[in-house]
Amino acid sequence: MTTTSTAIDAVRTVLPPDRARAPETYAIDGVTPAAAFRPETRDEVARLLASCDAATLAVTPLGARTATALGRPLTAYDVAIDTTALARIIEYEPADLTITVEAGMTLATLQQTLGANSQFLPADLPPSDAATVGGLLATARPGAWRNHLPNQRDLILGLTVASPEGTLVHSGGKVVKNVSGYDLHRMHTGALGALGIIVEATFKLAPRPPAIRSWAIQCNTLTQAADLAFRLWNQSLPLRALSLLTSEASRVASLTPAPHVLLECGGYEAVLVRCEEIVRRETVLARAIGGEAIGNQPWDALRLAAGDLTKTVLRLGIPSSRVAETIEAAAAAGCTAWGHLAAGSVLAHGLHIEEPAIESLRALAQSHGGFLQIESAPAPLRRTIDPFGAAERDLVASLKHQFDPRGTLNRGRWQEHA
Amino acid sequence: MTDLQAALGEHNVLWAPEDLAGYEYDATIERHRPDAVVFPSTTDQVSAAVILANAHGVPIVPRGSGTGLAGGAVPIKGGVVIALTKMNRIIEINPRDRVAVLQPGVINLALQDACAAHGLLYAPDPSSQRICTIGGNIATNSGGPHTLAHGSTVNHVLGLEVVLPDGRITWLGGRQPDAPGIDLRGIFVGSEGTLGIVTQVCVRLMRNPEAVHTMLAIFETVDAASEAVSGIIRGGVIPVALEMLDNEIIKAVEPRLHVGYPLDAGAVLLIEVEGLRESVEADAERVVIACREMGAREVRTAESEAERARLWEGRKGGIGAIGALSPNFYILDGVVPRTQLPAVMSEVLRLSAEAGFRCANIFHAGDGNLHPNIMFDELVPGATQRVLDLGGAIMRLCVDAGGSITGEHGVGLEKRSYMEWIFSEHDLDAQHRVRAAWGTGDLFNPCKILPNSHGCGQAHEAEIRHHLATPGVYV
Ligand SMILES: Cc1cc2nc3c(=O)[nH]c(=O)nc-3n(C[C@H](O)[C@H](O)[C@H](O)COP(=O)(O)OP(=O)(O)OC[C@H]3O[C@@H](n4cnc5c(N)ncnc54)[C@H](O)[C@@H]3O)c2cc1C
Ligand SMILES: Cc1cc2nc3c(=O)[nH]c(=O)nc-3n(C[C@H](O)[C@H](O)[C@H](O)COP(=O)(O)OP(=O)(O)OC[C@H]3O[C@@H](n4cnc5c(N)ncnc54)[C@H](O)[C@@H]3O)c2cc1C
Repeated sequence: MTTTSTAIDAVRTVLPPDRARAPETYAIDGVTPAAAFRPETRDEVARLLASCDAATLAVTPLGARTATALGRPLTAYDVAIDTTALARIIEYEPADLTITVEAGMTLATLQQTLGANSQFLPADLPPSDAATVGGLLATARPGAWRNHLPNQRDLILGLTVASPEGTLVHSGGKVVKNVSGYDLHRMHTGALGALGIIVEATFKLAPRPPAIRSWAIQCNTLTQAADLAFRLWNQSLPLRALSLLTSEASRVASLTPAPHVLLECGGYEAVLVRCEEIVRRETVLARAIGGEAIGNQPWDALRLAAGDLTKTVLRLGIPSSRVAETIEAAAAAGCTAWGHLAAGSVLAHGLHIEEPAIESLRALAQSHGGFLQIESAPAPLRRTIDPFGAAERDLVASLKHQFDPRGTLNRGRWQEHA
Repeated sequence: MTDLQAALGEHNVLWAPEDLAGYEYDATIERHRPDAVVFPSTTDQVSAAVILANAHGVPIVPRGSGTGLAGGAVPIKGGVVIALTKMNRIIEINPRDRVAVLQPGVINLALQDACAAHGLLYAPDPSSQRICTIGGNIATNSGGPHTLAHGSTVNHVLGLEVVLPDGRITWLGGRQPDAPGIDLRGIFVGSEGTLGIVTQVCVRLMRNPEAVHTMLAIFETVDAASEAVSGIIRGGVIPVALEMLDNEIIKAVEPRLHVGYPLDAGAVLLIEVEGLRESVEADAERVVIACREMGAREVRTAESEAERARLWEGRKGGIGAIGALSPNFYILDGVVPRTQLPAVMSEVLRLSAEAGFRCANIFHAGDGNLHPNIMFDELVPGATQRVLDLGGAIMRLCVDAGGSITGEHGVGLEKRSYMEWIFSEHDLDAQHRVRAAWGTGDLFNPCKILPNSHGCGQAHEAEIRHHLATPGVYV
């Protein structure tokens, strides 16, 4: 303990004193770090990280702290580095449809800036408006838009990352197509900050569709809903999302408690009129109910449910043709479940999902070549069950060894560090 | 050699000098003779060949069809070339899940054809799609005309079975996107055969759209066409394809293929929009307006599928056609921000004229991905050197405009020395660490991508051989 506090005292000297923050507010899984800092420039981040590394202090970079229950519980947590002061636009050329921003900028601010030019970052919406660009990339979680619009992974053009040695490492660039060298930015996307702290990111943008509309279609069974959803997927609709909901998920989304197909399209008004015709026609053909346009509310509710940190949340990757049966299996295990057809992804949440239920859902997904990731769960559960269940561990371990040899960053998130 | 023959079968190993000649180059200037070429048909055989080569301390170079334009498949230090062309089976096309599983030696177009039967498509469509392999596409993260809307190869690859540099077999990613764990798949795609050998692939398929509208916009100058590209993007329409062909290309293509490009045009844009009928009509209208604003002489629309195919034939056959114009040509690949296109293009033309070479341009304008083709005759003393210098100057121009040294062809051998123009010492050090983590060492596809690799020497020019593949290779 005294060695830690001596080390922290040394670290304090590298930044102006007003960068220190009260550590209590940065507790993760009930553990409070010994110190917390909110650096204001990327150089400060690099300097701070290097001094922690030299003192073998365990560091966790944080954005809005909306996804701190993702991954194994930290095995050590000495210093929190809050990135939210890094919130500037570095370069924005609307006509190029690219932007470079600092990693602590919130997605909400980013979208607002882009919206002024009728543009947006077509990344899946996080549950919270406060989520930062860095957190978005570090977690790289897909949502309802996956496979209709690009994922964060596909939008990232370049990255600047602070390394434990204190250098700023850049990869990619600001052009929309680029194959120069190894794509380090892809490596950091989804790495949960275990290989470096993201300080700047360049994204590819999209023009905002002139209009957006959603429809909810009520079905008798989930199988009927799945058949209908497949028929809709096979039209040329400008889909942004196409989801299947159990009765319980429908209730959460403030719809009638019955299985539903929920879809969203974006485009010109004339296009949406045509979409509506198609939706209505298919609804009638499927002998389902509804097909009227609805507001955004169900999507928002599902998004919040996906990010509900008071619950255990699971995400399964599964072939599209298995989405319905996987949703049903999750519901049978007591979860509220819904899924996105094109992405082949199923979300399931519950207050307490028992370990055997998680294991058997994982086995089901794996039997179809898929996976189960625990998105959020109480710490003890994340200790007993591997939240990721990824197959290839050796390469991850050797990347970690190369990029963070002392195990300074997010210690224990991926695997127990020797 | 006998060990390799035992592992793969005698007829799957070539080592007579006359048999090896075809494997000493790809579509670039560089060449070097391998010691042997092997043709495995299973993943286990690939692994066995890698383990054997390692045991004998011999370099390994993976190879697809050899259409690469950066020297990635050239065995610069000799050794064993592992050619994946016999592993060319499409294992599964699943229309309901919209995925396909295939071996790496499948030709890009063969996959396209197999998908078409189901009303599906595999989006990455490099212009070399008739001959290049999916494994090569993955290694180079290939793009194509439709990359503008659908992204490069990496956006369509879900999972890969690979043989690592130590011979171990593993899967990166899977059948679903966003698999848990660090995105090893994302690092592998585009690593130009330096992190392992792809032996099986799972890719995402897309559905053919309801309507496609293909337009040919005709301009007096490259400058006006470049401005129109910026104008279209700025106006909020992202076409699925937005390609430019300049007058040199038109003059090469039209007399041979008769696709209807006007011979007196300074440049044409080939523009495609797709989606629901209503959307296509509205997009097309905006495209036409943007082109007119920039002084388009005419914007034609393909009225039939046959006409559409004809317009594309000119694009796909463009590079082949310039082969007829010149004994040799050098294809460049650079990227600039789209707003820089007009300024950079006029500078490219000026630099070429100044150096005394004709330069034909046929490229993915919507992505800002330039492909100047410099025509020359290697028999003219000093010409090759001057062409390489001009290539360097054009790359410099792209970098200075905020762009990159390669958009889709890769770094390979050819552009190693330019890496220092865009990356700092720290950046390159981090890239070396990726290789170290993967166990690439000095034997696995040596001397590619990174400058100053161990035992590879420095000088760019010194390695450039004054040999160009015959133009016929490029069709
Ligand atoms: C259950 C659940 C489901 C979700 N589903 C979706 C979804 O469908 N789509 C979607 O887009 N988002 C989704 N999110 C949100 C997203 O995954 C993150 O919550 C959010 O983007 C994180 O932002 P943050 O700023 O709060 O990060 P934090 O919670 O502060 O950090 C999250 C992780 O990222 C690391 N990190 C943060 N900043 C950096 C940085 N600059 N450099 C390196 N590492 C960093 C942290 O160490 C931590 O491990 C979901 C979240 C939850 C909890
Ligand atoms: C006329 C012409 C037009 C072209 N147009 C385009 C275009 O529009 N877009 C574009 O992106 N490219 C284009 N190219 C470049 C080239 O076709 C692509 O890079 C293609 O992907 C190479 O495939 P290949 O099978 O020929 O690979 P090769 O040339 O044999 O190899 C290329 C690289 O991939 C590696 N490799 C090959 N197979 C494997 C494997 N199974 N596992 C690991 N590594 C492997 C090699 O080591 C090498 O580094 C064009 C080339 C020509 C000649």
